[in-house]
Amino acid sequence: MDIFTSMKVGASALKAQRMRLNTISSNLANVETTSTPEGGPYKKKNVVFRPVGTAFEKQLDSNLKGAVQGVQVQRISADERAPRMVYDPAHPDADPQGYVAMPNINVMDEIVDMMSATSAYEANVTVVQSAKRMALKALEIGK
Amino acid sequence: MSTLGIFDKTGQLLQKVMDLRQQNQDVIASNIANAQTPGYAPARLQFEDALAGAVGRDGQGMATTHPQHLPVGGGLDQVQGKVMRTPDRSGLGDGNNVNLDQEMIGLAENQILFEAAAQMLNKKMGLLKYAAQDGR
Repeated sequence: MDIFTSMKVGASALKAQRMRLNTISSNLANVETTSTPEGGPYKKKNVVFRPVGTAFEKQLDSNLKGAVQGVQVQRISADERAPRMVYDPAHPDADPQGYVAMPNINVMDEIVDMMSATSAYEANVTVVQSAKRMALKALEIGK
Repeated sequence: MSTLGIFDKTGQLLQKVMDLRQQNQDVIASNIANAQTPGYAPARLQFEDALAGAVGRDGQGMATTHPQHLPVGGGLDQVQGKVMRTPDRSGLGDGNNVNLDQEMIGLAENQILFEAAAQMLNKKMGLLKYAAQDGR
């Protein structure tokens, strides 16, 4: 039984949530980006999480196998929803009818997502702190 | 654990409690880490009842006549946590059933109970030390 397992699980989640926050900040930064190297407006990026257990399983008792899983970003995918069409004939990327294709990003959605990522990050910091305290308390035995 | 009389059943029990609380901490950490993973069903480690049952009957388990026989009514050593999963059946959202607030409470509670066991073990050791040093 490894005393660091819960710390590792927490650390994997911190990494995943940080990646999610990076993606959200990229979405927010590009909320007005109308032309990208791939052509067309910027597309919103979504992070997909998946549980991952293999790295810890070796150290776990057989009855815990599968119950203790870290988390990992499986992929970052582009949101294929249609772009927002905004009427702005003066814009250099406007089509002949005067409409500009803007990124399919809703700022409110991103802010809500950002708050959710922040609180998830904080929860996992608490997990790591608590694991650390438990390990230190165990070290005090017999002092 | 040692067969010496000084490390009695309370010590063994505390050791087992710390072991199981440690495992429980891993399971709760896993639930919190996956609080936003689609389709994740939170796991629970249940051991309190098995532990309480084992306390009363330690050393009175049924004798086994073959090394591969399963012990019946065994002692503390045989207590293992049982992992239970509760999948989301609401049909709403992404199939993730983790309640972050509940998990955080479980985490704090588990940590405090672990520390309580550690402190009690510490006190026991302190008493032994006191006796071994002639009350000095």
